[in-house]
Amino acid sequence: MIRHIFILIWNRKRSNFLLITEILLSFFVLFVVSVLLVSNYYNYRQPMGFESANVWESRVTPGLDTTDRNGTFLLLLQELRGTPGVVAVTQTSDNTPFSFNNMNTDEYHYKGKQGPLTERYDADDELARVLGLKAVEGRWFDRRDDGARRTPVVVNRKFAESLFGSESPVGKVLTNTRTPEEWLIVGLVDTYRSGSDFAANEPAIFCRRVLQGDTRIGSREDPLLLIQVQAGSGAVLEQQLVRKIARVTKGWKANMTTLEENRQDKMKVMLTPLVALALVGLFLIINVALGLFGVLWYNISQRKAEIGLRRALGATGNSISGQFLGEMLVVTTLGVFGGLLLAVQFPLLGVFGLDPEVYLLAIALATMLVYVLTAVCAFQPSRIAAGILPAVSLRED
Amino acid sequence: MNFTTAQSNLFDPAATGVAVAPAPAMIKLTDIEKVYQTKTIETVALNRVNLTINKGEFVSIMGPSGCGKSTLLSIIGLLDEPSSGQVEIAGRPVTSYSDKELAGLRNQKIGFVFQSYHLINDLSVLDNVELPLLYRRSVSGQERRQRAHAALDKVGLSARTSHFPSQLSGGQRQRVAIARALAGNPELILADEPTGNLDSVMGEEIMDLLLHLNRHEGVTIVMVTHDEHQAQKTERVIRFFDGSQVS
Repeated sequence: MIRHIFILIWNRKRSNFLLITEILLSFFVLFVVSVLLVSNYYNYRQPMGFESANVWESRVTPGLDTTDRNGTFLLLLQELRGTPGVVAVTQTSDNTPFSFNNMNTDEYHYKGKQGPLTERYDADDELARVLGLKAVEGRWFDRRDDGARRTPVVVNRKFAESLFGSESPVGKVLTNTRTPEEWLIVGLVDTYRSGSDFAANEPAIFCRRVLQGDTRIGSREDPLLLIQVQAGSGAVLEQQLVRKIARVTKGWKANMTTLEENRQDKMKVMLTPLVALALVGLFLIINVALGLFGVLWYNISQRKAEIGLRRALGATGNSISGQFLGEMLVVTTLGVFGGLLLAVQFPLLGVFGLDPEVYLLAIALATMLVYVLTAVCAFQPSRIAAGILPAVSLRED
Repeated sequence: MNFTTAQSNLFDPAATGVAVAPAPAMIKLTDIEKVYQTKTIETVALNRVNLTINKGEFVSIMGPSGCGKSTLLSIIGLLDEPSSGQVEIAGRPVTSYSDKELAGLRNQKIGFVFQSYHLINDLSVLDNVELPLLYRRSVSGQERRQRAHAALDKVGLSARTSHFPSQLSGGQRQRVAIARALAGNPELILADEPTGNLDSVMGEEIMDLLLHLNRHEGVTIVMVTHDEHQAQKTERVIRFFDGSQVS
């Protein structure tokens, strides 16, 4: 019977061509949607590489006050660190976890080889403590780095692998082709996914920036603080800190949010296009399903005489239904096969730099969805075909 | 119920315990009625039909259009159920048979020939002839091919196996339909106006073929026809009018 179905489909290749094309396109749309959903879910399952619980973010705005900004800010840091309930305080660049800011560069080179596009973070010695970052090789910044000739940096594994392969990055010196600046890698962290819960583990580099010597806060800089507080701290401590900032700095303003709030905000922003895309995908699937349903229904109405004939020749209702389902599954297989040829190019060519596992899962998901879709769409028309009375359909012809 | 046993015994009078007679009844219809009912109209297609067709007979059924000939043929061919009455094939009533059992009976024992041939245009002549054997799991692909070739040989179309129905004349198409009926090696052929769409020469060819099958291969044939000339060639003519048998 399988051979018979193949013969039928081959001999009806012209009428089946559009159906196969529709299935191929559906597969591809489902594949793209699946890639996005799978890659986001895949990222979501990965460790973030840092702790955001009990970490508050405070933007300090000196306004027009230009009087010894650096000194005032250092005093503020000291006061905040001494506040009961505060565990650690760090000053960092604007691209804090879950923020909407980026600071990426591809300026790093190692022995003439250019590094990947890398997210760069300014970090002082306290950042690791505040965010719970763990150096898996080497160490985090400390006083030993004061006065270092080369800027000490810590990189994540993604950065290290793309530039050094399996070699340890610690002790290696990064250069820049445009300026004489050099960076010494002192440590390696495993993962740092600060963009959002759905962000990929992109290459990251932490450059030591401590306010000492010539390094001062800029005249227009609104410093950003990350403050780790004791678990259970709430609005009372928040008010205390805001008041303390105003008192110590004599009028600087500050706002306070938590990284968890930022995380939820970012999650909403990230989920919105994903949900929209999923809805568009769902809409497409419904359209494809209605299309398939209509085509199959039409096919059956056109083939009533054939169904009657087959019943007369000994086919049972179930074998008629099985034949129609079988034909649909063979047509689906041909469409999916075409789609697979296209889809496997993505992991083979390493498109978008996604893990091949993501593509393979997406292919499996899209294949399953297409088969389920066609089987569901073919089921009812096939049952109708099975119920056609042979005497009636033969007479109608 | 053991379907295989039922099939194998159905056309064997000895197995059913009936004494072997010179011309045993292959089909016996008792008080058959067929009523088509809609919300407003009730149409009586067959009215208390009693009919016996013996094994090896060539019977033609005649009557004006709408008198119930094709309905009767559908009931004999197990394609339709009577509203009341009993259909017996080789002494066994088939009214209580399941869909699967009826399909098995049609496949094993009955061959159909239709006025409009009912060939599948997207299948070659050979594939069309193979169709009834597709529904027999016991027949291998190779045997299917062999039997289809043999059936086409019988109707003189062995040179046209790879042609498609659209490439054949009406007479050739009807011969393919007869070959398809023969491929299953049936004991009964039901032909619904087999020459109705053919010119007189081709009609004669088809009639000769059916007569040959009946006389030399012992196939029982029930043929519906409008053609008095063709009907006279058969052993018995049954006439219908307004759903009732008149002779």
